[in-house]
Amino acid sequence: MIMESRYQRHIQLNEVGSLGQEKIKQAKVLVIGVGGLGCPALQYLAAAGVGTLGMMDPDLVSLSNLQRQILFNENDLGKNKALSAEKHLQKLNSEIQIQAFPFALTHENAEEFISEFDIVIDGTDNFYTRYLISDQCILQDKVMVYGALYKFEGQVSVFNYQDGPSYRCLFPTPPINGEIPNCSDIGVLGMAPGIVGVYQALEAIKVILDLGDLLSGKLLCINLLSHQNTVLDFEKNQNEIDQITKSGKPIPVGNNDCFIDFEVSLEQLSAKEKIKWIDVREQDELPRLNYLNPLGSNVSVDVLMESKQKIIAFCQTGTRSKVFVGKMKRKGIKNCFSLKEGAKQLQEWLKNDRL
Amino acid sequence: MEIRLRYFGQLQEATGKSEEVLKEAFDTIGSLRNFLIQRYPQLKNRNFKIAQDNKIDMDSSPLNGSLIDLLPPFSGG
Repeated sequence: MIMESRYQRHIQLNEVGSLGQEKIKQAKVLVIGVGGLGCPALQYLAAAGVGTLGMMDPDLVSLSNLQRQILFNENDLGKNKALSAEKHLQKLNSEIQIQAFPFALTHENAEEFISEFDIVIDGTDNFYTRYLISDQCILQDKVMVYGALYKFEGQVSVFNYQDGPSYRCLFPTPPINGEIPNCSDIGVLGMAPGIVGVYQALEAIKVILDLGDLLSGKLLCINLLSHQNTVLDFEKNQNEIDQITKSGKPIPVGNNDCFIDFEVSLEQLSAKEKIKWIDVREQDELPRLNYLNPLGSNVSVDVLMESKQKIIAFCQTGTRSKVFVGKMKRKGIKNCFSLKEGAKQLQEWLKNDRL
Repeated sequence: MEIRLRYFGQLQEATGKSEEVLKEAFDTIGSLRNFLIQRYPQLKNRNFKIAQDNKIDMDSSPLNGSLIDLLPPFSGG
């Protein structure tokens, strides 16, 4: 009698077999960004039996995520994405080690967390983090599986595989803020990141198994409307790679389009600091803080551009101010932050600390 | 010689086209890039790579392919 095993359908394949399944078990894969790309990638990697599976995301599950981030359900709303993913994946496969990191990848922590893994899957939605992952993967010689999309088109590639090209060989110059919109700016059909994310999981497994042709030195361009898929070859640019290895650490992208670093908490502010506050709420929302700039959506970009003071936008909960600051950043306003807390807490803080 | 151009991602919106055929001759990839920026001012300061016959090439390379792809980086995840 043949005993039914979890990985029977893998093992039946000559290209995988018991040996291949053991390689999958030994593999350590980190998925950075548990969103539209990360969710499907994680599900397949957990199901496949990747022995150590990490997931990193500072964000909370929101209602508009459920349309494509299929690992989550309504019970997860308001909870951290990495921790929610961990909970669901544990139910899917209790035989693997799952590590959830409920915070953002930063220049301070990237070296430490990436060093624990063999392969990094890029499921991010911003260039700031993508270049950080890329540079750290160059420095530590880790394979990076890249996936990204725009509307109905996807891009997939495998970087740093056996001394192959990196993301910087493909796109050496980071785009300027606002040049490349992401899904939350322009919308996306749920299946699009689904397909790209599963492709990333597939390439990761092929790296682990040393199977077939990898997208190393190749950019797969998927068009979901026309079905015209194209594979483009590109070469390694040694100068780009040397620039990183010589520097010895990742080179930050000048235009930070990552929301996480835009947020500031009252605790982080000094009472002495001069701040230009901007209320992005409607006129009838309470409490009114009338002595602050009630500019909101009518704010003049020129006024902000010229401001020498730190600009901090606030609303009731820190959500609308985040969107506002994102827009301002894309217009090139640098010294602009979003308050994590709401108007009520700000009112208290102003009373206690400043007046 | 005719060249067929395919625009990817946001470049379709910048040019208003997904494909077009050009009859002009270009020495290098870079001269094609300059021509396109003149023709579509929206492409100015855009970050995109150019591939000929399925190979991404440098602006200094001679243009001898017949299928040209123009690729911006993508963000969203």
